[in-house]
Amino acid sequence: MTPLARRTTAIALALGSTLAIGALSRAPYTADRAAHGVVRLAWRARGERVEECRRLTPEELERLPAHMRQEESCEGRVLPYRLQLSIDGARVVDELVQAAGARHDRPLYVYRELTLQPGAHAIAVVFAREGAIPPGEREASEGTPPRLALDTTVALLSRRVLLVTYDDDARRLVLRDGSP
Amino acid sequence: MAIVASAQRGTRRILAGADAWMNRLYGWRFNPLYHSGALVVALLLVVLVTGIYLLFFYRIGAPFASVARITDQVWLGRWIRGLHRYASDAAVVAALVHALRLFAQGRSWGPRTLAWVSGLVLLFTVFICGWTGYVMVWDVQGEVLARAGARLLDVLPIFSEPISRTFVGERPIPGAFFFLNLFAHIAIPIGLGLVVWLHVSRVARPALLPSRKLMWGVIGLLVALSLFWPVAMGPPADLFRLPAPAPFDWFYAFWVPLARPLSTGFVWAVTLAVAAATLLAPLWTRPARAARPPASWVDERLCTGCEQCYQDCPYDAIEMVERTENVKAGASATVARVDAGACVSCGICAGSCAPMGVGPPGRTGRDQLSRVQAFVAARRPGAKDVVIVGCDRGAGGIAAGESFHGALVYPVSCAGSLHTSVIEYLLRAGAGGVLVVSCPARDCWNREGPKWLEQRVYHKREAELRERVDRRRVRLAHAAVGETGGVVAELEAFRALLAELEAAPREAEFDVVRECDTAPEEAAR
Ligand code: HEM
Ligand code: SF4
Ligand code: SF4
Repeated sequence: MTPLARRTTAIALALGSTLAIGALSRAPYTADRAAHGVVRLAWRARGERVEECRRLTPEELERLPAHMRQEESCEGRVLPYRLQLSIDGARVVDELVQAAGARHDRPLYVYRELTLQPGAHAIAVVFAREGAIPPGEREASEGTPPRLALDTTVALLSRRVLLVTYDDDARRLVLRDGSP
Repeated sequence: MAIVASAQRGTRRILAGADAWMNRLYGWRFNPLYHSGALVVALLLVVLVTGIYLLFFYRIGAPFASVARITDQVWLGRWIRGLHRYASDAAVVAALVHALRLFAQGRSWGPRTLAWVSGLVLLFTVFICGWTGYVMVWDVQGEVLARAGARLLDVLPIFSEPISRTFVGERPIPGAFFFLNLFAHIAIPIGLGLVVWLHVSRVARPALLPSRKLMWGVIGLLVALSLFWPVAMGPPADLFRLPAPAPFDWFYAFWVPLARPLSTGFVWAVTLAVAAATLLAPLWTRPARAARPPASWVDERLCTGCEQCYQDCPYDAIEMVERTENVKAGASATVARVDAGACVSCGICAGSCAPMGVGPPGRTGRDQLSRVQAFVAARRPGAKDVVIVGCDRGAGGIAAGESFHGALVYPVSCAGSLHTSVIEYLLRAGAGGVLVVSCPARDCWNREGPKWLEQRVYHKREAELRERVDRRRVRLAHAAVGETGGVVAELEAFRALLAELEAAPREAEFDVVRECDTAPEEAAR
């Protein structure tokens, strides 16, 4: 290689690598190319907390350290809700939503996304508490109502997201599409 | 493991080709592949300085708008943002090259384990910094990265509320999210400095910056890139639309398209498997016990306490301690002691010790002398012969053969471990010349071999080549594995010089006193 050719190659390689860095730092990408629309169910609900108590057997008591021996053992948990979603009359979601946390004592979180063809769709959502509050306990007034429902027809646009969420102030399910 | 060895060999072959090319184009002093680790440090410093500027203008209350405002500052903000990004990208490339080199060279186990593991931590940290940096912009890429990260993090039982919920659109994204993200983006680099310190803590005199010309050259190119190809804003994040086509930085977002179609469980499994495999490389790249080169040791009867090995060891594996054995009149008060846990068995100390009292077993100065005696007895170098002392790891790959272009080849494990008395012995035994071919200085697997060798031969560094040795018959050269042609050229040039010397002796043997100082004799007549 002549010195001139070497120098030219050296400069070309340096410029080429620099341009490659520039190009790779801004290569176009579409994370989701689909033409469909999305229905997103997302809310946080404060469920009803219930205490479930039972008497310990003498053997169980025996196994506990002396200072912890209480005859009744109580565990608190939040009652689950059933989430049902029908689209155009067909049931597409029917599931039990447990409260978060290993002991199910935290709020309930709903987060589901469904893809749909753009156009008009009838959407029916029901979010209803499962299980009864034990007799003698009062329902907490600030909790999420025992049954939430939304039954409506929506016009879903291509590549748009329609959000079904819980409005804490109005205490009901509402629709949002991002418009202010 | 055979498969690891062949992977290392394959990678070395690719690197050898690339190195030879780069040396030709830029010269070995400025070969960026040799400076990859130091380049990462330089680039991270650029990222730090530009980041401080950007921080003044970033607003967690209006992330996208504030970055857009920076980008609109045509004179300063835009190119500083560009430089911040491009330097981060180049740092990833340099770090990967650096890691690949060290893997290929088998410098990933034993005393180097700490450097290996902390290097991976560094790489991961740099990656997290880039990730949080792009989330800060809150454009489509930022949103996609944030969502993808949230999806992965939500399967871990550590957050009381799923992070993904932040991005569902039921309420504006809380400022706390951008605050936490910014905090991570800034706090992590502070930790980075600490990990870099840990990373190089086992090497003596770490080369933290590349040669100046190379450093400013690389920075200059990135500045030019940010001026002539400035960064622009992507479309803003929109929680109510599917992510629009947007520019993505593949150095930091490469995993998004890979992970998207897979379940979170699978992505975690692959991530953990890759992390475990790379973190455990010090175990699986380690040679079998019998093949591991033994640590250096000191023969205290010979040690004079001169401290040279202590100064030369590239891994700070030697300390000077009080002499407890062989205490006798005239013996030094201190002796060298090798910390076997820190010694990589490079053998450089063997070349440092004039009395030949230190070195890995079988490679001390004394062992080298016995070996060269056997070599001379077997090969009988003559006045017309050049002996090439070639480093196993470089030297144009010629050290594997017995001879090269008519020269006798004497292989060594590292040119820096060569005791200068070997050179003297070869010449005294009749060799016409000794050509020592090392790796290019910045590519020495043992970091400082060529540097010390050169100082011992030409600059009287302790354990120096004796004054009485004719320097005209000694030549130092360097060549990377792929540079066989360079060795040929050096050999030819050296032979030409030696030929001139061969012609000269008659003149040199001309006895000036006898031939010229005849007057007294004549006077006596
Ligand atoms: C990402 C940021 C990194 C930076 C800034 C960095 C920087 C450096 C520097 C400056 C050195 C000293 C070089 C010398 O003086 O010889 C070094 C050595 C080393 N690095 Fe890194 N490095 C990084 C990542 C990595 C990675 C990802 C690995 C491997 C997985 C790694 C493995 C090593 C090893 C094993 C050494 C010691 C070499 C020896 O003992 O000879 N480094 N690094
Ligand atoms: S170079 Fe040799 S003599 Fe000097 S301290 Fe080291 S072992 Fe002792
Ligand atoms: S062989 Fe000698 S110079 Fe090399 S690391 Fe060990 S003690 Fe240090």
